[in-house]
Amino acid sequence: MKKTLLKVEELKVKGDHKEILKGVDLTIKRGEILALLGPNASGKSTLAQVISGNPRYRVEKGNIFFEGKNITKIVPEKRAKLGIALVWQSPPKIKGVRLSQLLEKISKKKVTFKEGRELLDREVNLEFSGGEKKISELLQVVSLDPKLVIFDEIDSGLDIKKLEAVSKIIKKELLNKKVSVLLITHWGQILRYLKPDVVNVMLDGKIICKEKDFKKVLSIIKKYGYEKCKECKLLPD
Amino acid sequence: MAMKNVKNANYCQIDHSIKNISQIKGVFILPSAEAWKKFRWTRKYFEKKPKEGYFVWVKKEINFPFTTCITIASSKVRQNLNNLLVIEKDIKVKANLLCNSARKHLRGFHKAEGKILLKEKASLEYNHVHQWGSKDIVNSEYEFILEEGSRLVYNYKNLLPPKVLNIKTTIYNANESSSNLNFVASGIRNSKISIKDKVFLEGENSQGNIKLRLVGKDRSQIATVSSIVASAPGKGHLDCQGLLTSKNAKISLTPELICQNKSAQITHEASIGKIAEEELSYLRMRGLKEEEAINLITNGFLNLW
Repeated sequence: MKKTLLKVEELKVKGDHKEILKGVDLTIKRGEILALLGPNASGKSTLAQVISGNPRYRVEKGNIFFEGKNITKIVPEKRAKLGIALVWQSPPKIKGVRLSQLLEKISKKKVTFKEGRELLDREVNLEFSGGEKKISELLQVVSLDPKLVIFDEIDSGLDIKKLEAVSKIIKKELLNKKVSVLLITHWGQILRYLKPDVVNVMLDGKIICKEKDFKKVLSIIKKYGYEKCKECKLLPD
Repeated sequence: MAMKNVKNANYCQIDHSIKNISQIKGVFILPSAEAWKKFRWTRKYFEKKPKEGYFVWVKKEINFPFTTCITIASSKVRQNLNNLLVIEKDIKVKANLLCNSARKHLRGFHKAEGKILLKEKASLEYNHVHQWGSKDIVNSEYEFILEEGSRLVYNYKNLLPPKVLNIKTTIYNANESSSNLNFVASGIRNSKISIKDKVFLEGENSQGNIKLRLVGKDRSQIATVSSIVASAPGKGHLDCQGLLTSKNAKISLTPELICQNKSAQITHEASIGKIAEEELSYLRMRGLKEEEAINLITNGFLNLW
């Protein structure tokens, strides 16, 4: 049986004086691909940021364990060193810093893939297209030699061709090397390429559904939308 | 600190003594006092008889940068320099200039007054680096005279400021000439930095741009007054940006535009801010400590040239 890598227990989180996560439980095992689906503002990105240690959010209750260690109060840089990496949905620009310079500072291992070569001499995320941002993020997180990668909406703003290219890199650089992955997605397109082991659905700061058959979940969401998720037949009584 | 550069400089002065002058074919390099005696026409630019400093007269194109290095190496030295650089018509030159202190606590005083003359269609890239000790006092005042069609790029960097720095730059642009000032300075410790730039657009189709990037750390204070004065139909832009990384630091930016010609076009933008929390969190999630992340962001911000 696979060992637990990340365990989130009854997590309640506030940001900007508002309760965003209202008791989240989530477990990711080593080498597992987990998906987290949900509508806008359901708390998915907040969960990603909180697991990665963004000090903007305050954990009111609950704990986060990584490889059995309680990391709830650990600073983000230490979490990165432990092996947690986040691919941002909208990464900030770092003016005057070339991607190659950033990689030199953060890399645990040298990574090159052809899609990223032409970005190396450019300033981080400055005038990057949507696709270029995703490639830059992938280069960075793979170079961190992580144990867990959280992808926050990696499929947003990508056309089919780019989505395929990104999925190929994720498979080659992460999944084939048994790195655990949490895929956060609104539309779920990426799931057709990366086929998660378990799908979770988040609504209003809570995970309301866990299901192994991602196709079933996607077809129900497509048919009824997230609004009807609470009435879903897949939910236990 | 930067003593290793001294040996290779075309003009090198330590305290008051000239350590090296290496001549280049087509370029006159002399102590200012000698130039005053030898070339009477220089008196128009020196104004008074110089005691120390350099005279560089570029008469032929050189395909490598000429370098000067003025260093304070002894305690309580008071340098008083008058420098003159003349670039002849159609000549393209790159100059690297270093003014520095060899050690941190020398309590030196460095005063430099200079004139740089770019004759018709001459071109100069002037890379000026200051590196001082924490107890030095530095006053630097330079005037650039740009004749018709000449081009100036003036890059100034000071990441190790003295206790007090006053730097004043004035540029006169004739017809079709262009000047670009790129100034980068970081205030650290208790340093007090005053930067005054003034660009006069005096000729038709002249262009003048000023870019300032300033970082206020520790308890430093930086004040700038940057002006573009257009008396002819020219174009100018002023871009001043400050970044405060400490609650005890202070930056004040004063942009000034004076337009005396209805066909001139001069604009400005100015801002002072702090490091965005989002950028910090992003870099920390990549494994950088908070201080490392701040350094990377500020170095990037100052990476103007």
